[in-house]
Parts: sequence; structure tokens; C-alpha cells
Amino acid sequence: MSRLPQDLEARLTAAAPAGIEYSADTDQYGVTVAWLGLASAADLSPVAALLKELGARLSMITCTQPSVPEEEEEDEDEENEDGEEKAEAAPKEMPKTFGGTPLDGTSYEIDYHFDIAGDALTIIAYVPQGGSIASLTPLFRNADWHEREMMELYAVKVTDHPDPRRLFLDASVDGAVLERLIPFSTLVNAASTKGLWERLTAAGKKGAA
Amino acid sequence: MSTHNVPETFSIPVGPLHVALEEPMYFKIDVKGETVSHIDINAGHAHRGIEYLTTKRTMYQNVVLTERICSLCSNSHPQTFAMAAEKIAGIEVPERGIYLRTVADEMKRVTSHLFNVALLVHLVGYETYFMHMMQVREIGQDMLESIFGNRQDIGAMCIGGVRYDLDDKSIAYIKGALDKIEAETKDIIKTFKTNGSILRRTKGVGVLTHADAITCGVVGPVARASGIDYDVRREAPYAAYDRLPLVVHSLTDGDVWSRAMVRLEEILTSIDLLRVCLRDLPGGPVNINDRPDIPPGQAVTRSEAPRGEVIYYLRTNDTPQPERVKWRVPTFMNWDSLRFMLQDAKVADVAMIVNSIDPCLSCTER
Repeated sequence: MSRLPQDLEARLTAAAPAGIEYSADTDQYGVTVAWLGLASAADLSPVAALLKELGARLSMITCTQPSVPEEEEEDEDEENEDGEEKAEAAPKEMPKTFGGTPLDGTSYEIDYHFDIAGDALTIIAYVPQGGSIASLTPLFRNADWHEREMMELYAVKVTDHPDPRRLFLDASVDGAVLERLIPFSTLVNAASTKGLWERLTAAGKKGAA
Repeated sequence: MSTHNVPETFSIPVGPLHVALEEPMYFKIDVKGETVSHIDINAGHAHRGIEYLTTKRTMYQNVVLTERICSLCSNSHPQTFAMAAEKIAGIEVPERGIYLRTVADEMKRVTSHLFNVALLVHLVGYETYFMHMMQVREIGQDMLESIFGNRQDIGAMCIGGVRYDLDDKSIAYIKGALDKIEAETKDIIKTFKTNGSILRRTKGVGVLTHADAITCGVVGPVARASGIDYDVRREAPYAAYDRLPLVVHSLTDGDVWSRAMVRLEEILTSIDLLRVCLRDLPGGPVNINDRPDIPPGQAVTRSEAPRGEVIYYLRTNDTPQPERVKWRVPTFMNWDSLRFMLQDAKVADVAMIVNSIDPCLSCTER
């Protein structure tokens, strides 16, 4: 039923020598949603090139900082068993992704959502804090804005981006806004109104003097 | 040729506040004479950090919040968000809820498309016809207000179904309104095919070639007008679309006229779909009448908003708040393609070409 190529998993494995984690399920409408974890973020470009060959369309890029998987607290929460597979691998030490990126709450998970003839495939790459990831813009022109947005919301570096300017945020705003706690009064206009008032008052005094 | 004859190059700012643009967009346009030679797009005037805010609200509050990202596709956001939550939690929406979701979706599509094409006529300079089209759209807006109690944020969606129901009286009322809109839309299509003013201003203007459309990854009517025969409703069906007689309209010229024509044809298709939904509307509950906890997980869901594919990525954890919600609206993809459409266009056509992608900034910048 799936419109993904039959040998997709084999071809993806060949394109990503460091290893992959592949899963797919098809819903009652016959739409397949597949997930492809990459052990090494360096395999992103060859895998994306393969998808381009298959006629995939880049739909969205999500960057996120996965929280630290909760420690195994027995009898606490039964629902936890289904979701957090990553935590089960190494419960005592720092939990890691299957590719070895520490899951300490500061690493980045970057999800590249592709559409292949109606089916969805998400490539998941992990980048540790301070790390970088190759730009997909040379392959998929429409990765441009997604990557620029990712660079202003997080401190993640994108290498070889042809136009790494700010997208939505003004250059005067400090970067990595989603990695910081921003007080509500700053988020809304209250703080800027107060700031503006103080600046104007100070400027007025200076002008009078 | 002496240097005096070489047309000078000027830089013109279009926006951020401009009479012909509905929302704050800012284009820096270099012109040679009357021809656009280079475009720089400056975005961010409507950035509000809603993605950050979603992680501070509970899943159920986010249904309300996502509806407020945008007004014209206000139904697509909570629907796609709810679909993601339902996928993670394994919630099955009751049959009647599935049909009512489709009804709300298509009603919004009808009014959204009418609004965009009406604005195009306004930018063409055909004011009387613009007012006529807005009057037609008003039949749709009255329909939304009568059924949902609101003209824009209709509050129809919830996790597990919908929050409204239809009875025989309201179904008869919708059918009557649809008959009126259908007759008027057929007239509008005829006008678009024959009216000299509209044809002269829109044919062959703002062309996005098939190849460029693929490169830019455009979606929705913009893609379909450039020959990309893709509609999420058919390619990745959701709600009741797998059992409806959906016709996907595509054209090949990729100009302003084609984009308007795709939208007009889609209005008629939406009306057909609405009639089938209202005819086949199954009985039973409209939602699951429960607010279950959403377990940890992740999901990607898509839907066809009036402007094209909306995609949501949702990751949940053990808390009532989602860990990450990310979405991408059609304009995010289509906006960048304006570089191709505006290249070598006439300055006088800029606003019209910009309008032809049916831009929605508040949901692009979030």
C-alpha cells in the first residue's frame, strides 16, 4: 500500500554507513509515516541526496532540544514504558541516542520532514551542543528559510548555508531565543513599553540639559 | 548608445505597511525603469513567538491557541494539531465528527478563496466587481456566523472530534446558501474567462514555471496552477476525504490568472463535497466526549488548508504541556517563490502578484 519504494530501507542503510533506525506505519487511510533516525549527522547529506533522487519534497524542518529522559522510577508511571525507548539503553549513565549523542537536554534533534508522493518520511539527526550540521539548501532550495529560522531560534550551527542571515528576528535580538527563559513581561510588550518610556525620558533630560 | 539612454536603477521599498498589502510584508525591490530586476524579502514583522507559547500551554489549551495563529485558515490549525494528538493517543474520531470536520474545512475554503480572488479583482482595479465578490463571500461569512457563531475563528475543532453539530434546519440553511454561492461562482468564472480588464492584467503575469515550482517546494493552489497535481486531501487523505468525490484542479501556465482560476474551480468542488457530506452525514456522537491524557510520543500530520499543505509536528511527554509543537504553513513555502514570480515583472503588478500567492503572514511568522 505504501508509496515509498519497496527497497527504501536498504537504500537508506547503504546511504548512511554509520547506521540508521527505521520504522514506518500505515494508517487506515493508507498513508505511510516513516521515521529514519541517523546515528551520525554526517550522513544527512547523502541520505537527503538519495531522497532528492526519489523525487521527495522537503516539507518542514523542526529543531528541538529533547528533554533528559526521565530516570527509571519503578511503579511510578506505566505509560512511560511505551515512549522513552532511548532511556532504557543506559539508565544509570548519561542517556544517549543510539548514535551516541548525549541526551542531556542541551543536544539538538533536527527533524527533516519529507513528502514522497503523499507519504511522509522524517529524517532525525542529532547534534550535540556546540555542534553543527550541513545545510540542505544546496540540495533543496526550500530548506533555506527553515535553516535560517533554526539558526535564530537555537544556537545550532548550519555549515555551508548560502545566506545565513536572520529570517524573522531582528539583528538586535540575541540569538537562541528558544534556549532561554524569556519572562512573560519581556515576551509581551510590557517590558518594551517600559523600556521605551525610560529611553525617552532619559533622552528628554539630555535634550533639556 | 550614450549613457543617457540607459535606464537608471532605483530601489523601491514595498512595505512593511503598504496600501495594497493586507499584512506587514517588506520587499526591497530594485527596478530598472518599470521592470523589477531584484527582490529582497524582509520578514518578521508579525513574529510573536507562538511556538514558544505552545510549550507553556496544555494540549487542550493549545487547540484554542493554534486556532488564533491565523484567521483565514483558522480551522486548519486546530484540526491538524488535534489530528497529531489523536495519532499519539490512538483516539478514534467518531464518524459524524469526521464528516463535520470536513464540512467546517470546506466552508472555510469557500470563503477564503472568494476573499483572495475578490482582492485580486480589487488590485486589478475593477472596484465594482470587487464589491460584488465580497458580497458573494458575505453569504459564506453569514453561513459561518450562523452555524458556528463566529465569522473567522469558528472554534469547531477539539481533540477527539468537533464542538458543533448540525440539525435538519441548519443543513437546509447551508444547502440554500451553497446554491447561491455556486450560481454566483459560476458567473465569476465566466467573467474571469471573458472580461478583458481581468485577462489583460492577470494572463501571463507573475509566472512560476513548473520547474521553479518544484525547486521552491510550493504547495496548494500556487503549486496546482504551475502544473503540480498535488492535494493533501487526495494524496494523504484525512477526515472524510477518502470517501468523497474530490476533483483536484491543476493548470499549467503558472500565472496570476491560473492561480485565481484554480481557486475558483476549487470553490465549486468544495460546494460539491459539502453537499455530499451533508447528504451522507452519519448519526452518532460528534466527539469522544472525553479529555484523555495524551501519552508521550511524536507525530507528523498534514492537512490541505485553503492555501495548501499545513504540516504539524507534535512531541509530547509526561506533562500536560507538549514538549515541542512545530508547524509550517503554505505561505512559508510560497513566499520565497515570489522571487521567481516578481523577477522582470512590472512595478504596477507587484501587489497583484504578491496577492496571488494568497499570503498569510501571521501564520508564517508565528
